[in-house]
Amino acid sequence: MEVWVNGEAADLGEPGGLLLDALRQRLELLSVHRGCESSYCGACTVLLDGAPVHSCTVLVGVAAGRRVETVEGLQEAPGRLHPLQEAFVAQGALQCGFCTSGFLMAARALLAESPDPSEADIRRHLIGNICRCTGYQQIVRAVRAAAPALAAPGAVPAASAAGGAPPPAAAGLAPRPASGGDRP
Amino acid sequence: VSAIGRAVPRVDGVRKVTGGGRYACDLRFPRLLEGLVVRSTRPHARIRAIDTAAARAVPGVRAVVTAADVPNGLWGSAMKDQPSMATDVVRYLGEPVAAVAAEDEAACLEAASRLEIVYEDLPAVFDAEEAMRPGAPLVHPDAARYACRTTVCHPEPEANVLNHVRIRRGDAEALLAGAAPGALVKGRYRTQAQQHAPMETHGSVAVPEPGGRITVYTSTQAPFLVRADLAAALGRPESLIRVVPTDCGGGFGGKMHLRAEPFAAWLAEAAGRPVRVVFARSEEFSATTTRHAAVIDIATAVDGSGRLLAARVRTVLDTGAYSDSGEMVAWQTALGAVGPYRVPHLAVDSYAVYTNHVPAGSFRGMGWPQAIFAWESHLDEVARAVGRDPLAYRLEHALRDGDPSPTGEIIQQAPVAEALRQAAERIGWGRPRPRWRGVGLSTVMKTSTAPSTAGAVLKLNEDGGADLLVGAAEIGTGVHTVMAQLAAEALGLPMEQVRVAPVDTATCPYDAGARSDRTTFHLGQAVLAAAEDVREQVRDLAARLLEARAEDVEVAGGRAAVRGTARGLSLAEVAAASSQLSGPIIGRGRHQQEGIVPLDPETGQSPHAVSHFKFGAQAVEVEVEPETGAVRVLRLVSVHDCGRVLNPMLMEGQVAGAAAMGLGFALLEELRFDGGQVTNPTLMDYALPTSADVPEIEVVPLEVAHPEGPFGAKGVGEPGIIGVAPAVANAVRAACGARLTRLPITWERVLDAVEQGAAGRRPG
Repeated sequence: MEVWVNGEAADLGEPGGLLLDALRQRLELLSVHRGCESSYCGACTVLLDGAPVHSCTVLVGVAAGRRVETVEGLQEAPGRLHPLQEAFVAQGALQCGFCTSGFLMAARALLAESPDPSEADIRRHLIGNICRCTGYQQIVRAVRAAAPALAAPGAVPAASAAGGAPPPAAAGLAPRPASGGDRP
Repeated sequence: VSAIGRAVPRVDGVRKVTGGGRYACDLRFPRLLEGLVVRSTRPHARIRAIDTAAARAVPGVRAVVTAADVPNGLWGSAMKDQPSMATDVVRYLGEPVAAVAAEDEAACLEAASRLEIVYEDLPAVFDAEEAMRPGAPLVHPDAARYACRTTVCHPEPEANVLNHVRIRRGDAEALLAGAAPGALVKGRYRTQAQQHAPMETHGSVAVPEPGGRITVYTSTQAPFLVRADLAAALGRPESLIRVVPTDCGGGFGGKMHLRAEPFAAWLAEAAGRPVRVVFARSEEFSATTTRHAAVIDIATAVDGSGRLLAARVRTVLDTGAYSDSGEMVAWQTALGAVGPYRVPHLAVDSYAVYTNHVPAGSFRGMGWPQAIFAWESHLDEVARAVGRDPLAYRLEHALRDGDPSPTGEIIQQAPVAEALRQAAERIGWGRPRPRWRGVGLSTVMKTSTAPSTAGAVLKLNEDGGADLLVGAAEIGTGVHTVMAQLAAEALGLPMEQVRVAPVDTATCPYDAGARSDRTTFHLGQAVLAAAEDVREQVRDLAARLLEARAEDVEVAGGRAAVRGTARGLSLAEVAAASSQLSGPIIGRGRHQQEGIVPLDPETGQSPHAVSHFKFGAQAVEVEVEPETGAVRVLRLVSVHDCGRVLNPMLMEGQVAGAAAMGLGFALLEELRFDGGQVTNPTLMDYALPTSADVPEIEVVPLEVAHPEGPFGAKGVGEPGIIGVAPAVANAVRAACGARLTRLPITWERVLDAVEQGAAGRRPG
């Protein structure tokens, strides 16, 4: 199955495989983590055509012909951090780091849609991602801090306009949104 | 610029935000096999037979091991009661009974399903109080024969008691017996089993080597404890075992002892190939460890003026099937029984009791969250019973500098009242609030475990930069950043010139692990000692180069200079000369605490039983929704006596993270059991706090420099969880009159308590 991953065509294998496994095993995109196997913790969050999804419950076939983005594709050039990455380091928005990639991708999707989110917006948007270390406030602050850099003209392209991929093809199953979903 | 006291970014930050974190599950080795632990389906049973033939025949299977194939020595932090794999008896549902390694996960699962295990069920016990009664099934009938460190562990094997810790001061029993009914307040408080739920599950990769040597890469918070336990499991000396901690996706106490490591090791040696074992989330919940569920009975008596006179506190902890470190949890709950308060007469009994539940073990706060929840809830009721304001009543009884702890240890610094005042002021104590809104307070107290030792090696490179070797795993706490800050500060180097070397038990000095807030305090002192050693060597070499006497040379600010002259050399110049003249400059530091005395087993008294004390106070404001019982936490203030703050950003992260975990403990999290089976072993059924459940937490450092800590610092990873649940319970009481004595404070329990309250308040 051919999928556009971080701007390049990639063969992700059988359509019935999990996107998470394919990204980790075939492409060694090890930023994408398995935390719960049940689409709950968000450690496996990637962007699918700019929208955050939990890759542990998305089939490769669903991603066929579409754009997948992971943290490995965030940096414009080696040594140049994306504003969100910079803000996460500067604000202390990570501790163990296992959930961090998922938060970065979920936050990227938020800022692409909403250039100046309030604290409440950010907190609501991120409920599909669990962090057990930070208590969230430094993550929220980092997202706020990164917003102006991303909203500025000439900033890093927003998720919905990211690099070099074809227009999204029609998809089969709609994957469960990773963020903003319902929660008992 | 000083390297300490400011928000230095994490040294592992850029790596982790660019996808460069390498956790156990990320490691790649040639011909790597997948491993799987096969677990008991019975809570208590004798293993009659295990037939592995059909499992071995599954295509792709490369190894199957059972207890018959491996040394499997017993381990435990003080009571050596736990085999890594069940031998003849299983004691909890989920206990390992076998392990398989195969080319892929599917073959592992297939092989596991083909193992034939014949069990003979034994009577089981799932309630800790029941387990203490005569005639209850014994979880460890042979407990008296296990090796046990009796300075901290006092088992009563005939009653399933792993540890019974006593504190006796004055004559509490007589005063309680003689107290007038109006002076007596009694309460029963219950706390639940909480799971650490680190985002990364346990995982290990073992690589076999010739000559009985083996390397185990593992997600752990205590590589040297793992190595010691592995020596027992593998039946060989520690020096043959190399443990390399990987990046660790959170620990919180759950990654202190053996979990995946022995299985990876046994399977790797059986297959002759590297093997990776990564636990599924369901295994984390049903087969690692939990926070001890507790039942705490408190009775207090006040004197004629309403002041606390006597307290009896009896704590029964469900320690599950094995000790892990449950004996220390009993020990800590005893120390925390009456919090940081003056109570002249005390009778405290804490029991850690074996049951056929999954083992309970170390968990952030180590028993203090349970003890302080009970005591601070109770104290709130005592204050109300004697007609006093809960804040004023607390201030009146708060420990002060120079007071003895409940175990008789003089506490030099006890800023309890100051912490309470700050928390109360910031939350707006006493301000009128609408009905269904309220504020609640709790103190925070924790002791750090002792004795504790640490070592550090600091190598000055030929360019004047330094590599720091420490044995402490970086599990997210920021320890590597803080240690680099300390070394940089002590040598006068910029942060960029100090690098913390990869941790490896083969190259780094011993460290007792990321626990009990010990690394900043203990390892920090070892790092400063190593830096001092470097400075002395630099001074000696600089004296040779400058043709001066060593005692005239001063090493400061990254230079070695002859005092009172302009003659001097940079650290880089001295270091460059070292490779030609003196040989490498290698600083060595170690730290140990002198004079630690175990508690007296009868009275629980000791002049110096703990490393150091930590205090604080927390306050919350809540809103209770009358129709549903939902409790919304609007604000949370967390004030902590943390010594001198080395890195305010990391300090805030530790406290806010702990407080969020405390909100989970207070309102959401509960591991539920039915007949020994965990019934909610997924993140869908076990609710963790999300960003929408946690308010912005106001973190307030109370900087009181500790005389022993590095530059006056203490650790602050644990305290933030301790006072949250009682502060929430007390705020709910203030908001709606209901006293919630059981955690978590769920919607249903609030509604029930409000109704009962309307019918005449009765705690318990």
